Amino acid sequence: MRKKVIIVLCFLCAVLGIFTLWSAEGAFRSDWQLPAAVPADEESYRLVLITQELETPFWDKVGKGATAQAEQEQVILDVWGSYGNNREDFLKQIEIALHSKVDGVIVQGLDTEEFKELTKEKAAFYGIPVITVANDVPVEESLRKTFVGSDHYAAGKMLAEQLVKEMGGSGQVVLLGDIEQEYSQRQRLLGVTESLAQHAEISTVYAESGKSDEEIVGATQHVLNQHPNVEAFIALNANHVGPMMKEISRRAELEPYYLYSFDDGAETASLLDQGKLDAMIQQSPEQMGEQSVKLIMQWLRNEVVPLESSGYITDIRVVKGAEAGP
Amino acid sequence: MNTIQKKIWMLAIVVLVMMIAIWLTLTFYNQKVQTQYNDILQRYLQMNEITSESQQMVTDLNNYLLMPSDETQSRLKASRERLLGVQSTVYELRNVENEFALTNYIHLISSFVETVDRSVSFQEQEDTEASLTEFTEATRISMYISEMTLTIIDTELKTYEGFYRGIIKQSAELKKLGVWMLLLITAALLLFTYLFSLSITKPIHQLTKAANELANGRFDQTIYVDSNDEISFLAKTFNHMRRNINAMILEIQQKAQLERELQDSKLLLQQSQLRNLQSQINPHFLFNTLNTLSKKAYLDGAEETSDLLVSVASLLRYNLKRMDRAVTLAEEEFVLRQYMEIQKARFSDRLQFFTELDSNCLNLKIPGLTLQPLIENAVIHAIEPEEDGGHIWFRIKDREEEVWIEIEDNGKGMSLEKRQQLLEGSIVPAEGHSTGIGFANVVKRLQLFYGKEDLVNVESEIGQGTKVILKLPKVKGAANHDQAVDSR
Repeated sequence: MRKKVIIVLCFLCAVLGIFTLWSAEGAFRSDWQLPAAVPADEESYRLVLITQELETPFWDKVGKGATAQAEQEQVILDVWGSYGNNREDFLKQIEIALHSKVDGVIVQGLDTEEFKELTKEKAAFYGIPVITVANDVPVEESLRKTFVGSDHYAAGKMLAEQLVKEMGGSGQVVLLGDIEQEYSQRQRLLGVTESLAQHAEISTVYAESGKSDEEIVGATQHVLNQHPNVEAFIALNANHVGPMMKEISRRAELEPYYLYSFDDGAETASLLDQGKLDAMIQQSPEQMGEQSVKLIMQWLRNEVVPLESSGYITDIRVVKGAEAGP
Repeated sequence: MNTIQKKIWMLAIVVLVMMIAIWLTLTFYNQKVQTQYNDILQRYLQMNEITSESQQMVTDLNNYLLMPSDETQSRLKASRERLLGVQSTVYELRNVENEFALTNYIHLISSFVETVDRSVSFQEQEDTEASLTEFTEATRISMYISEMTLTIIDTELKTYEGFYRGIIKQSAELKKLGVWMLLLITAALLLFTYLFSLSITKPIHQLTKAANELANGRFDQTIYVDSNDEISFLAKTFNHMRRNINAMILEIQQKAQLERELQDSKLLLQQSQLRNLQSQINPHFLFNTLNTLSKKAYLDGAEETSDLLVSVASLLRYNLKRMDRAVTLAEEEFVLRQYMEIQKARFSDRLQFFTELDSNCLNLKIPGLTLQPLIENAVIHAIEPEEDGGHIWFRIKDREEEVWIEIEDNGKGMSLEKRQQLLEGSIVPAEGHSTGIGFANVVKRLQLFYGKEDLVNVESEIGQGTKVILKLPKVKGAANHDQAVDSR
């Protein structure tokens, strides 16, 4: 009897002890570690990449390339920016970056007075180097250290040549651009028109549009009304391709038209895959990101002084749509 | 020695230590969590403080610009100091996750302070327009600061989310742990208490059982208590008492035995004396008469008759005198010879008596009238019934520690049962004994005298004769027997 009682109690103690230990392990083991503190004396270079179009395929690639390079250089890089071409927000981000006294700013060029003022005055005031990427703003106006990106004039030319190759030596071409043209767009336009001017049979129509979808649709309608015989469209601003196409397809078949654009828009890649876009200029966004970080670090470390102010050109090539046009 | 008091203390200390351990663990753990929690809370408070301080500074700057006075200036200076103070604390908050954001934040604050400083210096140079521009700038930066604060706090929340969830989960786990621990302690205490109470009650039970045994009169069982405390001490004492009582009882029993034996020997003596008295109606008269007859026979010339009568008289005298005291073997042998003279006169050629004596042994003390009855037995059973008579041998032999007295005849012997009965003393002495003392009486007296059994050996077979051997030790056994017999 006594032995039974003792055995039962011992067993009970053992079982409860196991459960207690098991529970104690869960209660006292904190599987969450607080982030490690940074040594106070360790200050690495802080770089910011600022763009107007966050989370578009093109800029994601730029960011990816830049981040990879930053990791290699062991500096901190953050990608800031605005969504959907929100200029006000974009400028504010630049201002914050400058006030935050980062060590370098890599920025998508914006051909406006506010932007130029920021890069010229604020950046100079804080002594922060600015590199433009993808879209350039002339050095005289922005005092940028250098530019990394495609040669837009060459890109325009290349696209026009592709158009001529596919369409033949004659036809009417619509060039859709912004009302407020940026430097890079002007370069593209120059490239395209210069190239097409060599073919007497080809006439160009330049259409201007605002930023909103309605304005683009309106501009497209206007051009189609004015010039019903138009055969090809070149969207100088890649973001115009979507609404423009929608409007064309609302009126007629897309197929007969030759549609061309660039790759730095939100929708261009998918439209190309669907075969709606006949061809586009493919730039090298990863290379841009990489190169820009590399250059700014070289400048910060005084390895290459001064940087080539005319800019560092990255590769471009023509990519055709998945299904061949008419 | 482990005392009961010590055991109680132990139990109390074990419980106390358990409780203290649990309390310390929980307190420590709580403290740890609280500290971490406070640290995190502190971060938010500091960041929030920066926002409010920067806004306060903007207000102060505005006041100063509107109404430059010592008071507003000093207030501005104070808020500037405060902001810088908080800024330096924010520096400590950097970690891997927010290094970039916080570094920017810190620089933003210094940009803000610089802008404010510039505004003030322009004001002092009375360049109001530039001062106002800087003021606008400062306001904008202040706004950026608040925005960034919110962003950073948001990031922090995300960073520490897992931690918060961990805390919530752990507190739930802790509750579970508490329940388990309560159950464990309950079970452990039950076990301890049970063992403890058992260690006290079990020895008491054993002791009670032992006491019951004693009460039932069983004193021969050792009291064993499986314990090492006061109870064990009690048990030892109890055992000691039991041993003493047992010894005393044994002693009393021995004394009673002695008493009984003494009584026995008294009874036997009385019996033989009674027989004596019965047979000796007037021994002195008979004795005198025998002497007179001897003289008369001598005078009449019957010398042989006269000698015989002398033998009878001396035998009678011996009988009268030697009944109750120890005599030497020599004396006993002398009387025996007298007796045999008489018997020879009776049986003439029919009785052949041979003796074989070791003279070294003749000083041995034996009780009186022990040999004569045995010889008489031999005569009665081996000579009397036989027409041709018989032989009787009487031998005294020295056998180291003992003296052997052998009385042998060549009569018809006896059966095994009869021999057994003889040794047990259940045969009543037959008529015709001169002294009325039987075999059993002799054996009993020898046993009492030497304080030892197994003195007499009878060898006999039907038709082969009988041999009685007395094995008497040279050194006497229990002295008290001797005393008891001698004291008469």
